[in-house]
Amino acid sequence: MDYSTLSDEALLVLIAHQRDNALHELYSRYHRLVFSLALNVVGEPAAAEEITLDVFTRVWTRADSYQPDRAQVSTWLTRIARNHAIDTLRRRQARIESRTVGWAEAALEALPAAADPAETAHLAMQQHRVQAAVGQLPVDQKEVLALAYFKGYTHSQIAEALDLPLGTVKTRIRSALQKLRQLLADEQ
Amino acid sequence: MTTHQDIENLIPAYALNCLDEDEALLLAEHLAACPACRDEMLAYQRTVNQLALAAPPTEPSPQLQQRLARRIRPANAATSRQAARSWWQTVLAGFKQSAPVWGAVAVVLLIGLGLANVWPVTPTSQPMRVVSLAPTQAAPTASGVMVVSSDGEYGAVIVENLPHLPSDQQYQLWLIDDGQRTSGAIFSVDEHGYRAVQVESPRYLIDYDGFGITIEPAGGSPGPTGPKVLGGEF
Repeated sequence: MDYSTLSDEALLVLIAHQRDNALHELYSRYHRLVFSLALNVVGEPAAAEEITLDVFTRVWTRADSYQPDRAQVSTWLTRIARNHAIDTLRRRQARIESRTVGWAEAALEALPAAADPAETAHLAMQQHRVQAAVGQLPVDQKEVLALAYFKGYTHSQIAEALDLPLGTVKTRIRSALQKLRQLLADEQ
Repeated sequence: MTTHQDIENLIPAYALNCLDEDEALLLAEHLAACPACRDEMLAYQRTVNQLALAAPPTEPSPQLQQRLARRIRPANAATSRQAARSWWQTVLAGFKQSAPVWGAVAVVLLIGLGLANVWPVTPTSQPMRVVSLAPTQAAPTASGVMVVSSDGEYGAVIVENLPHLPSDQQYQLWLIDDGQRTSGAIFSVDEHGYRAVQVESPRYLIDYDGFGITIEPAGGSPGPTGPKVLGGEF
């Protein structure tokens, strides 16, 4: 069977039936996305690789829990990855700090080889669109947004890390998400 | 007094899960009763869901996919594991019959020469890994080996000259990885202090750094509590 021609949802059905080649196809499509997210949270490649393994292992054991009417497969994967990565960060009881976390520069990168062109192109375009939207935010909004999203910090923790008034943090986060919602409305 | 607008202003941060606890509770109670705000929250959640796509792209190591394959294989290899287990059981039965005659060193030499030439089992051309287990002060005359299959999936521990324990104690094998210890076997020894036992592991044995055997209450412990008697590393 040529798994590369199957949709993400079809792959999950096969994974739920213990087809390991289907898992490897899904891995080839999304391992980079999951790993990049995990690395931006925990900051260590080895830990990010463990998180990536855990995410795809969970897909293997819980593929039947995916609900197509609630989110895209990529969203489901990144939600699992983000939650796991933030839990890992919190377990390490990392000191609250304004550790550098980054946003990708909006640029169309070379598509990975040996991947389904249609799926890969769609993901690449989505990534470019989101990265371009984030790029339009003021630097101070990107900074607080990164701490909230990638580090799981609360308003208070961000205020402490950046030595800002709490009200300023709340305003910047709200403004950032309102702007992003407008810019990304067509994708939703 | 908190207005509806004040509560609405909390929705973006709620979708991002960065509200402080008191505000999160306030909004959660409001959402239960306000469909319009629930719709707003879902819309912001869809926005937040896309932020993962903006993480700087990085490639993990190429070996990661192989590690994933090894991790999921145990759940997918029931049939092959059953066949392999019968092979190991045959090997161990051979050890059990002959072991009082052999020292642990002789066992290692046997393995080095190739088990297929000695035991009446289906021969394999794949080399196995052997980890020598060194004794501690708690059992200075003991000896042992861990024998691990070539792909690292199966293994057995063979010990000799371990002290015979009272009925309320047993030996327990620990699989060690980065300081974490997982139980691999619980066993007692015969009158020669000898035992050969198959190792049960949630992961491939080659994923561990080393092995240790301690004295524990009969039936084993969640973690090592007693003195270590044998230990070794890959």
